Amino acid sequence: MKIESKAVECILNGSPILKGVDLEAGEGELVGVIGPNGSGKSTLLKCIYRILQPTKGAIYLDGDLLGQYSYRESARRIAVVAQHNYYNFDFSVREVVLMGRAPHKRALDRDTAEDYSIVDEALDTVGMLKFAERSFSTLSGGEQQRVILARALAQQTPCLILDEPTNHLDIKYQLQLMDLVRGLNRTVITAVHDLNIAAMYCDRLYAVKNGKLVGCGSPRELLTPEFIRRVYEVDAQVIDDETGRLHILFHPHIWQQGVAR
Amino acid sequence: MGGQNKKEGLFRGTPVWVLTMVLLLAALFVSLLTAVTIGSTDIPIEDVYHVILYKIFGAGDPSYGEGNLFRAVWYLRLPRLVLAAGIGMGLAVCGVVMQAVVKNPLADPYVLGISSGASLGATLAILAGAGAVFGGNSIGFMAFLGAFGVSLLVVTLANMGGRANSVKLLLAGMAASSVCSAFSNFIVYTAHDREGIQTVTYWMMGSMAGATWEQDGAVLAVALMGLLFFWTQHRNLNLMLLGDESAITLGTDLHRWRQLYLLVSAAMVGFAVYAAGMIGFVGLVVPHVVRMLFGTDHKKLIPLCALSGAVFLVWADVACRVLIEGTELPIGILTSMIGAPVFIYLMSRKKYGFGGGD
Repeated sequence: MKIESKAVECILNGSPILKGVDLEAGEGELVGVIGPNGSGKSTLLKCIYRILQPTKGAIYLDGDLLGQYSYRESARRIAVVAQHNYYNFDFSVREVVLMGRAPHKRALDRDTAEDYSIVDEALDTVGMLKFAERSFSTLSGGEQQRVILARALAQQTPCLILDEPTNHLDIKYQLQLMDLVRGLNRTVITAVHDLNIAAMYCDRLYAVKNGKLVGCGSPRELLTPEFIRRVYEVDAQVIDDETGRLHILFHPHIWQQGVAR
Repeated sequence: MGGQNKKEGLFRGTPVWVLTMVLLLAALFVSLLTAVTIGSTDIPIEDVYHVILYKIFGAGDPSYGEGNLFRAVWYLRLPRLVLAAGIGMGLAVCGVVMQAVVKNPLADPYVLGISSGASLGATLAILAGAGAVFGGNSIGFMAFLGAFGVSLLVVTLANMGGRANSVKLLLAGMAASSVCSAFSNFIVYTAHDREGIQTVTYWMMGSMAGATWEQDGAVLAVALMGLLFFWTQHRNLNLMLLGDESAITLGTDLHRWRQLYLLVSAAMVGFAVYAAGMIGFVGLVVPHVVRMLFGTDHKKLIPLCALSGAVFLVWADVACRVLIEGTELPIGILTSMIGAPVFIYLMSRKKYGFGGGD
């Protein structure tokens, strides 16, 4: 399923956060949205997953206006793993993932054996099946985030939005989560903080700064030292290693001043 | 239901909570049948059952269908027990729902100004003679109107300046609550009706003593309908604990539901208040005990709380009648006396939250 944003503008509390952003994620593509803090990445994604309404412009799913769908209908097309998922209660892991079936259910529908097998399959995919009976609140941050990913998988949507899901996670879990997502074969739009992660996993990148698109292309095309300096205001070196992989090394100020380290 | 907690043996494959539900249902019947034999006047146990058997199945000696014995069992003891069960059920369910609606474990059925609204209504009826058109039940009726009116006001206030959310509801509830208590106090203060003031005080403490079969019918019908309604809403209630944003990504805009739930709860609480005054702590403690044992999933929580609440209040009513010989304790005092320490115990046992987070 193809997701497009066309000339999306968003004004929050009187200040313009997005000033006309076009983005397109084709069928099965993993698209990263990068940009410094406060650039509007998260606002853009929130417009796509309907927490926010674009002030102008619109989001399209396979050419159909997203706003015409009910929340139920859009939740069967787009699943979301967001930044903050701290819940203060005692749901079991399986109960949390079962909530992913909610958009497929009417009030009087029972949870069927099929729902439970979808839930177990999703938990298995993220490697959390053995934790199914555990209380969600007793898990570590990385485990919780994988459970939330399992919930998104249980929604069985063609599209997935990741709103900086790897923030605050150890590097092991960041890679684990992105490996999982990469293997899913769904249309994915993800906000990424870490440019190396973006380079490792994304097919294409969109760079946002001050609410505007400042670049778009494959990681190799986009992530040049000049571009990184322009967008992030830091010096960096981009290394293409012998296997054709991209590595970004940052050069902090103190190195350039010749301070011995 | 694959993979849920299972019990071995006879009930293999049946989830524990379903089993508990059946047991609680049985416990409720046994409680009602036991409690009806206990009271201030000594009535032989077999006579009590003779009356009930005669009245319900028409079986046995017709002499059990008349006289003082019959009246004591059929018009005094049984209606108040049935009322206690209905109110316990309603208050416990409303407690669960309110805690989800405002996403706060400290909420109880009275939290959003419903109780103060009911008190104001009752005070107006007793001391200012309002609602006299409703006849003999004017106090209860005004209490119901007060409860319902205030919850409408709370929803309206919470919607001013943007969509209502759980925090705004809570704040609006506090504000409405203060205004109502202030007016109630004002009326009590300026009234020169000593007897009326005593009635208000007594009413605020709650009692099943005035139960009639007509009231039972109304309260039970509303409580059962509310219970069934909220049971079908278990997914939305779960989503409420995740917050509005997660809920939208899972396909539900909670905004409207939250207000509907509040109004349905207000109707349930209003009827309870109408029949028996204010009974505290049931709606707070019962949900927490059940949550500690069975987790937060509302699919289990709603029916289990309803049944436990009913059993609890039946026995609380018995205790009210027998604890002090020759007089009857207001049930609201008793539930608070039991409820508060239990609540403190729960708090000290587990880090506070929805039973979660260690």
